[in-house]
Amino acid sequence: MTWQIAFQLAVSGLSVGSIYALVALALVIPFKASGVLNFAQGEMVTLGAYIGLVLSTSLPLPFVAVAALTVIIAGAFGVLIERLFIRPIVAAPEFTLVIATFAIGLIIKAAIRLHWQDNTFPFDAPYAGPALAVGPLRVNPSYLIIIACLAALVGVLVAFFRGTKFGKAMRAVAIDPRAARLMGIRVESIFMSAWALAAGIGAIAGLLVAPLIGINPEIGQLIVKALVAAVIGGFTSLGGAVAGGLLLGVLETFCGAFFGATLKNIVPFGILILLLLLKPQGLFGGSLQQRV
Amino acid sequence: MLAAAAALCVAPLALGSYQLYLAQLMMINVIAAAGLNLLTGNCGQISLCHSSFMAIGAYASALVVIHTGLSFLPALAIGTFAAALLGACLGYPARRLSGLYLALVTLGFLQLVQILIEEFPELTGGVRGLSVPKPQVLGYAIRSDFTLYYFLLGAAAVAVFLADNLQRSRFGRAFNAVRQSAFAAQALGIPLGRTKLVAFAVAAGFAGLSGGLMAVTVGFMDPTEFGISTSLRQITFIVVGGLGSVTGSVLGAVLLTGLPEFLRGTQEYADLVYAAILLGSLLFMPRGIKGLLDDLWSLRLVRKPATP
Repeated sequence: MTWQIAFQLAVSGLSVGSIYALVALALVIPFKASGVLNFAQGEMVTLGAYIGLVLSTSLPLPFVAVAALTVIIAGAFGVLIERLFIRPIVAAPEFTLVIATFAIGLIIKAAIRLHWQDNTFPFDAPYAGPALAVGPLRVNPSYLIIIACLAALVGVLVAFFRGTKFGKAMRAVAIDPRAARLMGIRVESIFMSAWALAAGIGAIAGLLVAPLIGINPEIGQLIVKALVAAVIGGFTSLGGAVAGGLLLGVLETFCGAFFGATLKNIVPFGILILLLLLKPQGLFGGSLQQRV
Repeated sequence: MLAAAAALCVAPLALGSYQLYLAQLMMINVIAAAGLNLLTGNCGQISLCHSSFMAIGAYASALVVIHTGLSFLPALAIGTFAAALLGACLGYPARRLSGLYLALVTLGFLQLVQILIEEFPELTGGVRGLSVPKPQVLGYAIRSDFTLYYFLLGAAAVAVFLADNLQRSRFGRAFNAVRQSAFAAQALGIPLGRTKLVAFAVAAGFAGLSGGLMAVTVGFMDPTEFGISTSLRQITFIVVGGLGSVTGSVLGAVLLTGLPEFLRGTQEYADLVYAAILLGSLLFMPRGIKGLLDDLWSLRLVRKPATP
């Protein structure tokens, strides 16, 4: 093993990890705002990819416009789901919320399979091309784009949460919804925006992953890896979710390269179970609070 | 009650082979749902890996028959016990968790079991699946679907009887107390950890039994059958039937297993229909069919049958 191989593995691990990180962000943002963990998020990523497919095949638009439209439509879907299904049961027991979001995911997946069956559709991105050669290194340009997208999105989110009034209101709701409401923040619209934001981020993840593996109804399986990433990150920390995703991606890639596919597949779930049992607050999270 | 029992006994004579197969699956699902309802409905613990314990019971009992030559009944007992033991192994560390974190651990366990089945093909058949020999009970081979139906009916009756008794026992009352308030239960002297551990082991045992029966009924095991969608289908049984009620488990499992019969010609919509029923039930009927019936009876719209 030379340093070139190690570098190439690291780049591919970071790009896979960036996808995990994006989906993990889409899980953590509404969870922080409304306390609901959206188990349908994986299917919302799939949906994003299919929206992109429909738009790019039916409209003569450049890729960037397709991507922007996809994110907007997916965000609208997020709002719709929050208003129709989540808001009536937001105060219900955790069991109801977990199972309801699972059911929403199943409905999306079943609807997609009804319309497109189990076929895998190719999805071309303009940035995909032959490997770039930088000195002795060869790098797939798609990987670099994915990593760059995550970096850009993190930058935008930081600016949004730190710099804008609306972002600050969102953080206030995450800390204490009741106090935020007393300060005149409309908590319901914050919930709704959090779901829109998460659905948009999920759609970006779907658009980024589609050129690599094609579009099929199983893309939503990503959610399991994203949950692991979120757990590593402590579940309530956006930075932790990103770090957890990247860590998981790199770890998985190196395990796969050194020890084969079996261990690569087992590693994420081993981490998930061990972490939840031994250190449920995650590697980057604060202490757990118990609400009585 | 007697009329229902008589109907169940003569039913196979009137059924076609597909309906008989559905009736067999109903019995198997009743056992799985009864176990899950004790854990989720009574004890209040989310489990997304009920189908994994089914897989463990199914593979353990089938592999015992194939490799040791033991007959079906002891193999079934071993499969049930293995599932209960692994349930306890998962329940021991998981008893400290609840809610969302429990959902995540059980989801991780489900994926792990599925990967392990697929990664050891020389033992489990891997993704190609595993053929299961016809069962032998007390030296008598169960060949016909009729005999198997009565055997499953007996097993389901025993399981329902056990679940009903357990629910009324000290343990059942402790389960309910833990669900309603863990703190109040502890204050009453109920050992929280041990109660949850028992609930996990019992639920896993029921799942293991139903898995072992499923293996011989279907005659073939496909690892993808033991994934998250099966777990969610079992959760649908108890949510639609009624959480925390044995009647609810039976109603939910029987009605929803029979659903494909009513959806003839629209098979491809089955997944959509199941998920929509689950979501609708959570939103509009949180106490399930059992709760609905109770409401109707309390309104005196329907005369309540005398309780035995």
